[in-house]
Amino acid sequence: MSAAYDFIVIGGGHNGLTSAAWLAKAGRKVLLVERRATLGGVAATEELIPGFRFNVGASDAGMLLPQVIDSLELEHHGLEFIENPVAAFDPITGLTIWRDAEKTQQELSKFSAKDANTWPEYVNQSGRFADILTQMASLAPPALKGSPTNLLLAWARLALRLRALGGKEPSPAIRGQFKSSMMEFLRVLPMSAYQFLNERFESNALKGMLASVALTGLDQGPRAAGTAFMLLYHQLGRRSDGFRSTRVARGGVGELIEALAEAAMDAGAEIRTDSGVSAILAESGRVRGVRLNSGDEIRANTILSSADPRTTFLDLLGAPQLTPLTSRRIRNIKLRGTTASIHLALNGLPDFPSAGGDTQRLTAAIVICPSMDYAEHAHDDAKYGRISEHPIIEARIPSLLDSSLAPVGQHTMSIIFRFAPYRLRANDWDSERERLGDIALDTLSKFSPNLRSLIADRRIITPLDYEREYGLAEGSIHQGQMSLDQLHLMRPVPGFVAYRSPIDGLYLCGAGAHPGGGVTGAPGLNAAMQALREMR
Amino acid sequence: MIDRMNYDAIVIGGGHNGLVNAAYLARSGLSVLVLEQRHVLGGATVTEEIFPGFKFTVFSYVVSLLRPEIIRELELPRHGLTILPLESTITPLPNGDYIYRGSDPHETFRNIQRFSPRDAEAYREYGHTMYQMAKAVKYILGIRPPDPTSLHPRELLALLKLGKHFLSIGEDNLYTLVKLMTMSSAEFLEEWFETDPLIATMSASGIIGTFLGPRSPGSAYVLLHHYMGEIDGVFRAWGFAKGGTGAISEAIANSGRELGAEIRTEAKVAKVLMRGDRATGVVLESGEEIQARLVISSLDPKLTFLKLIDPSQLPDDLVRIVRNFETQGSSGKVNLALDAAPDLSCWPGDGPHLRGAISVSPSVDYIERAYDEAKYGQFSRRPYIDAIIPSMIDPGMAPPGKHVMSCFVQYAPYKVHKYTSRQANKEEPAAENWDGQREAFGDAVVDTLSEYIPNLKKIILHRQVLSPRDIEEKIGMTGGNIFQGELSLSQLFFLRPAPGYAQYRTPIQGYYQCGSATHPGGGITGAPGRLAAMEILRDLRK
Repeated sequence: MSAAYDFIVIGGGHNGLTSAAWLAKAGRKVLLVERRATLGGVAATEELIPGFRFNVGASDAGMLLPQVIDSLELEHHGLEFIENPVAAFDPITGLTIWRDAEKTQQELSKFSAKDANTWPEYVNQSGRFADILTQMASLAPPALKGSPTNLLLAWARLALRLRALGGKEPSPAIRGQFKSSMMEFLRVLPMSAYQFLNERFESNALKGMLASVALTGLDQGPRAAGTAFMLLYHQLGRRSDGFRSTRVARGGVGELIEALAEAAMDAGAEIRTDSGVSAILAESGRVRGVRLNSGDEIRANTILSSADPRTTFLDLLGAPQLTPLTSRRIRNIKLRGTTASIHLALNGLPDFPSAGGDTQRLTAAIVICPSMDYAEHAHDDAKYGRISEHPIIEARIPSLLDSSLAPVGQHTMSIIFRFAPYRLRANDWDSERERLGDIALDTLSKFSPNLRSLIADRRIITPLDYEREYGLAEGSIHQGQMSLDQLHLMRPVPGFVAYRSPIDGLYLCGAGAHPGGGVTGAPGLNAAMQALREMR
Repeated sequence: MIDRMNYDAIVIGGGHNGLVNAAYLARSGLSVLVLEQRHVLGGATVTEEIFPGFKFTVFSYVVSLLRPEIIRELELPRHGLTILPLESTITPLPNGDYIYRGSDPHETFRNIQRFSPRDAEAYREYGHTMYQMAKAVKYILGIRPPDPTSLHPRELLALLKLGKHFLSIGEDNLYTLVKLMTMSSAEFLEEWFETDPLIATMSASGIIGTFLGPRSPGSAYVLLHHYMGEIDGVFRAWGFAKGGTGAISEAIANSGRELGAEIRTEAKVAKVLMRGDRATGVVLESGEEIQARLVISSLDPKLTFLKLIDPSQLPDDLVRIVRNFETQGSSGKVNLALDAAPDLSCWPGDGPHLRGAISVSPSVDYIERAYDEAKYGQFSRRPYIDAIIPSMIDPGMAPPGKHVMSCFVQYAPYKVHKYTSRQANKEEPAAENWDGQREAFGDAVVDTLSEYIPNLKKIILHRQVLSPRDIEEKIGMTGGNIFQGELSLSQLFFLRPAPGYAQYRTPIQGYYQCGSATHPGGGITGAPGRLAAMEILRDLRK
């Protein structure tokens, strides 16, 4: 047996790194093991094509919680952000959402006076709701086991804290507004994005763009209950502009990973790459340590796994360690990845005529989702196990803002494609990979006629690739659908006490736990805090 | 009948909830007048002789959810209510086979076992679990929703009681309940069963009256809602009221009259009369004014808040939420007068299968595709159909040897497009054009049924086709949603119909609401009517 550690963290994605950094800062002996040669998981920037660096999944650190940035002092570790006035651009109509609400208002007035009028109120309200969600992200769901009195107290405490969120407002009038805000929040949370957006806006282009955010990582269309929640969830982190919380790091999202790793190592954590875990060792309901692919066994009393729940509990730990009910529940977690990405090395900047020559509009998300019905049709295909013939596209040209990502005069483009269902009814992903790329380019080049002529090379990452290469079971970027039935006390499965699993000393610290996915750092931070609090 | 101009209470709308409300108020000694716009009572709970000699359960057709306390307290059996059990559900399959589930558990077991022994076992366990769920939720059906924002001791106590109740049902049951509140019916069932047509048929209870597909989150709640019925203490049993669902309204009306309530038909209310911020009575379309201390609307919230009174009298928030309250219907109804008994090709001739429900739900994809069409403004070409033959259960519904058939259909969206082709990128403004499509819809239903009932077309004597538009026009339910508003989480319990107005009151003194758009929602339950009455009586005692 190798030297003992207080904590072993499995997985060097942003959540694992956050856990490791925090525990190390708390003075503990921490080892983080990562299977791949590089850190970051899908929040990574990689040279997929020689000379060109791409964000392979997550594009930025906008949702990173202030608590995480502050407690780990990330800005002291070389993290530099690029401010960008644009949030999103629709190449079909030219509609642009700016980070500045007034500028967006002016833009919207060309499409709908009503929408222009409603926009600032929408941004305001979403921001307030996102604040509530940010707070809830740090409130681990209480247990449901134990004496009814204790349970009632724990849940009552949570309810009171939620109620008290209104109490922070300055004046009784605003507190009163907040009370109705709370009810509106409860009313809006379980809604479909379809209903939520129809209540507020009339322009199809605008509703389509916002619906595309609401569907991130989901295997749902905009008419599904719970998709309004996802739209609000993506305003987490206080960097929201009504589209999604964005904050571009110079060098790509990988720089955030670098900063996290540095913070962890500076605090004394040990990080080993090329060190995949083959098994979590446990005995009599308690963890002992891990066994690596190399055969090495490392002992620790507490293990935090940022791998998805299925990988963690069924592959690494093994079903025999769990009750039949728990292993059945874990097996039933809906993963269902629906995201694929296409990465292009370009010989020049593609022209989008609807931008009218204003290339600044191309520096953020280029969204093809002209209406909610379009998004619904795209999901219909996925529902029957097919690749969307008319996909939702979110493309970015990060090299426009950050020249370090491509050679001079050339560009990188990353296209997020939805929906690409993990489970195809006909064929398999390896044989469909190129066709997916073609559909994406067909869709995009309708609005950028010179795009194809500029392509030097392309790489496609299918949901199967996300699983094989990046360790995300079923290519589920959130490590489990963030549908209403898989949130909060139901996440990852009912019966866990927040981040603690039924196995003593084994914690889940990745997106598969509360509050879910996105580059928030919340599961990593919360799990670390709970594990530290509970350590023996 | 004394024709008075002054009552303690006026109930607007003689649907089953309005009638229940009136009966309870009368029972407490108030002088009550019910005003119904149509010539028959019942609203959607009505039996009409649409074709001479044939009694149609025009809108609703089966009952299960009628609250036992209402049946008991209003003595409905004495006033003519008899409920005959529905024996079975048969799902005919395209390959000529069928799935049959009947009241005999052993027979059901054997029938499911043919498809999957595992599912046969699971079916028993599922029944037990759903029984626990129904018991757990039953408590909610009988209480008024607490106000979670209020610090009033009464509300806090109610919340505490609610919390205690949920924590007492046990951890596992609680999780199952959360799943039922948030999942899709198909997904929920797929955790139990593997036989697709079985899952499809069962998941269909989650789409009844609802603009959701079996794979839509939220349909599991509707499944639970439809599971909560009790007949003679047995959960989940569905029944047919002798005389059709109209007999339920008649029984409640009889009870109400005996208790002293007055009921007038063909008396459409135009507006609620107000003095200051108080309701003082109503004025009919005829111009006739009737005074009352209390006015209770059993109509949907769009009528209650936006038409019967001047919405400028209401807080902006309430008006906004009521305008956004989802009331668009998704259901159609096809009622048939038949010259002979329908003959199912999968089970020819007479049998218990004709005395239950016939469910056209061969697969989950089938229902989901039907939903897809509705999403884009088409009625389903191959719809989900839940059909019963009332005359097989209650021979009085049709002349001897002849029959009536009642077909409930999903989906028939309130708004239908003029165009039939799929237009992925464009969004045409929906033209509410049911007039040109009604017969085609009826044809689609008959064509679909004929795939399983080959003699159907030959025996049809008369056909009545109803779209949500017709539901709206005939019985006054805005948008044609059969629950007076979708049963979705955003508009249930303390959010129904709007936050702050979920306790049967309105901002206007003396003006109340008691229809399905209040808790606990739709179906023939009578619960909103009764809970509203309790609330009104409580207010009077203050």
